[in-house]
Amino acid sequence: MSRYLTNIYDTVNTLWTGMQITFRHMMNIRRDNVTLQYPEERWPRPERNIGFNHEDYNVIRSRLHVDIDDCIGCYRCERACPVDCIKIDTIKSERGEDIPKVNHTGVTSNGTKKGFVVSRFTIDMSECCFCNLCTYPCPEECIFMVGGPNSSKHPIDYEFSEVDRKDLIYQFAKKLTPKQKSGLSPIEKKAEA
Amino acid sequence: MGVVQGDQMVLNIGPQHPSTHGVLRLEVTTDGEIVSKITPHLGYLHRCFEKHAENVTYEQVIPFTDRCDYLASMNSNFGYVVAMEELMDIEISERVQYIRVIMAELNRVASHLLALGVYGLDIGAFTPFLYMLRDRERILDMFEYTCGARLLYNYMWIGGVSHDLPKDFVKICVNFLDYFEPQIEEYNNLLTFNKIFIERTADVGVIPAEVAISYGVSGPNLRGSGVKWDVRKDEPYSIYDRFDFDIPTGTGEFGTLGDCFDRYWVRMLEVTQSVRIIRQALKDLPEGDVFETMPKKIRPPAGSVYRRTESPRGDLGYYIVSDGTPSPTRVKMRSPAFTALSCLDEVSSGWMISDVLAILGSLDIVLGEIDR
Repeated sequence: MSRYLTNIYDTVNTLWTGMQITFRHMMNIRRDNVTLQYPEERWPRPERNIGFNHEDYNVIRSRLHVDIDDCIGCYRCERACPVDCIKIDTIKSERGEDIPKVNHTGVTSNGTKKGFVVSRFTIDMSECCFCNLCTYPCPEECIFMVGGPNSSKHPIDYEFSEVDRKDLIYQFAKKLTPKQKSGLSPIEKKAEA
Repeated sequence: MGVVQGDQMVLNIGPQHPSTHGVLRLEVTTDGEIVSKITPHLGYLHRCFEKHAENVTYEQVIPFTDRCDYLASMNSNFGYVVAMEELMDIEISERVQYIRVIMAELNRVASHLLALGVYGLDIGAFTPFLYMLRDRERILDMFEYTCGARLLYNYMWIGGVSHDLPKDFVKICVNFLDYFEPQIEEYNNLLTFNKIFIERTADVGVIPAEVAISYGVSGPNLRGSGVKWDVRKDEPYSIYDRFDFDIPTGTGEFGTLGDCFDRYWVRMLEVTQSVRIIRQALKDLPEGDVFETMPKKIRPPAGSVYRRTESPRGDLGYYIVSDGTPSPTRVKMRSPAFTALSCLDEVSSGWMISDVLAILGSLDIVLGEIDR
């Protein structure tokens, strides 16, 4: 009988202790509020230099971005990718020479002379596993993870949701018409000869 | 076959049951409400980790180890890189060692918080779950601040870590620990010493020490049975021999030694010990370059290595065979959650169906690691 009463006392007592904590949190709801009304309010994104010279970019991995003008077509990111979501095609060109008709600049911002026109650079973000392994081997530091519109250069939104899965395949290379491609091939032949 | 047993019923729990912590199907043979046999059916989350690892290079395996134990990715990474460094025989800089310990222990706290909170949810207490997830969120924020990812980090690399700590990380981390330590008291008042919770867990699902050892159960589940075994202390890897911490074991405080409450309570005490380790590591954190000792080409000599580490779920072992090429010949992962699940049948036969879920929750399994 006394055990029965002790059990009842313990239950009420421990429940009361728990309720006190809950009440205390309820009273402090304005101060301790942790819930954000999502689309209107957002968590602050941590901004931080990731070690490259791009001071403006933060460490958040939301999407891959490529500065295609700096890409030399070395395929290193494609090889580093564990899930093969990066696909690159290149056409050989005169080293370091501009080709205005396909909007190709011959020299990167680091001063490296490019030997290839990158005719295709697609990243399928639905396959990407956000491991960041492709960004480190890049010699020109032109492929990197972006997290938001923190740069005037890349006004990219935080959430990269799309209605159609096809829209998650990002094309970074400048679009070449077949005519422009055939126009490039003589250069290729000349370089080989 | 052939014999019709009228009073027996086969009940399927899962694969989409919230209490099975992932996609696990339990085929439960019941007699009334008493469980006589449980057959766990696995493989719903099988992603060919071990076979896939043979087709990629050594550094590309690390993102896949993340996805095995997705609640403690840092610890999964840690086990793999420690094994690889042993195979390649490379020395790691001091700063990297400390950063790794801090990250692994923070992730242990995060993983245990989820385990404890979800266990409360299984038993029927909703509020502690919210409080624990709130604090886990702050740990994930710190990870996000450090390496940009919240769950699957790919942070520890062979010979280094992917990002150095931010300048103000120590301050943020100490702030968090100061905030967090009083919270443990709150959890205890809210959930641990609640009479209803104790009645549901004490004396339920007792795993005697010899049963636990014979099944190969490890980690908090083994320590809950009173066996003092922790890889961090007994087979120190990385720099765990430098820190001063205790190994909490179950004492059978409210019931029998090795019951569900003991396993829960060991996790709660382990959180405190992890906080102690993090504090010591933050105090001694040296300066240095995290990329310094990273090898340019990862091509280990032909040979094999088995290294086990202490993940939040127990002994996490990696067996790596190399033939001198850039990709491994074989990667085998010894999963602690798998062995914990294997003893479920023996432990839970004779209990009621509602107790089975309490036992399953107390084992703290992660299906990503079981199926791999």
